[in-house]
Amino acid sequence: MNDIGTLAERRSARLARAAATSPPPVQVRRTTADGEIVHIVQGEQYVSEDPSIVISTLLGSCVAACLRDPVARVGGMNHFLLPGADTARGECENIGIGVHAMELLVNALLAHGARRERIEAKLFGGACVVAGLTSVGEKNARFAEEFLRREGIQHVGGSLRGDSGRRLQYWPVSGRARQVFMGSAAPELIARETRPVAPPKAEDAGALELF
Amino acid sequence: MSKTVLTVDDSRTMRDMLRMALIDAGFDVVQAEDGVQGLELLQETRPDVIITDINMPRMDGYGFMQGVRADAQNRGIPILVLTTESSPEKKLRARDAGATGWIVKPFDPKKLVDAVNRVAA
Repeated sequence: MNDIGTLAERRSARLARAAATSPPPVQVRRTTADGEIVHIVQGEQYVSEDPSIVISTLLGSCVAACLRDPVARVGGMNHFLLPGADTARGECENIGIGVHAMELLVNALLAHGARRERIEAKLFGGACVVAGLTSVGEKNARFAEEFLRREGIQHVGGSLRGDSGRRLQYWPVSGRARQVFMGSAAPELIARETRPVAPPKAEDAGALELF
Repeated sequence: MSKTVLTVDDSRTMRDMLRMALIDAGFDVVQAEDGVQGLELLQETRPDVIITDINMPRMDGYGFMQGVRADAQNRGIPILVLTTESSPEKKLRARDAGATGWIVKPFDPKKLVDAVNRVAA
């Protein structure tokens, strides 16, 4: 085993331990000079029409879609990971999870007065932060780009792929975004915040309720 | 003879996922982007089952279902609501608008086909 392999293995093991043992952080709000910051983790989203709100998240191979309607002056961010295997079934599960995450965010914007045809998007994340997991970030990035294209949602910017984690801040009303690349800093933090969230329970997903 | 399902959803990705699941199960599928187009297509086709989203531009799922049920000829067509929503208030409103059943997204293709077969029987 060469040094690089050993280092990558140690890092992967450390990330796996962090993901397995740390509880998911709760949605945190704190007030700073930038405004009131609402922090989200994998599996969450936040929508606001308050110009003083800043939505933040940490991204590794996950993707955050930042959507807003500049006319309705409402926006929001989600943070999702497509964890499925590279099999036909895994790909189907991935698409289902991704589409659901995006639809929840779009619907939340619509509920705040946004119009679908006015929504513009910025995409962030999809990095290859762990050796051997190259395809995960790419898969997430590709899904997000393809979703916007298919749905006719304007893709106005962002930052996808690369090999570094990102600390992202998004002002949902103005559409301003700020990212800081994290390099090798805080891999455990990224692992904890981006660990896969269990999909909805089987009885909730697709079960028929007759009236 | 294949049964026909009319799907009404503003998401192209969701429409394609529904179409694939239903065609694989042997159904014919007609697709609409919103309630207005759904009502237009209803004049041209007689679906055996309707699957509709709730949150859509122009005409939402509630308005669409009321439009469907306003025509006595369509009162027997089962309507399944397929949505991200799950609040009791919205379910009640959908039932009052004429829905037959409610399915929360994300959907499982097999469960969806089972549901369609169940209400189409």
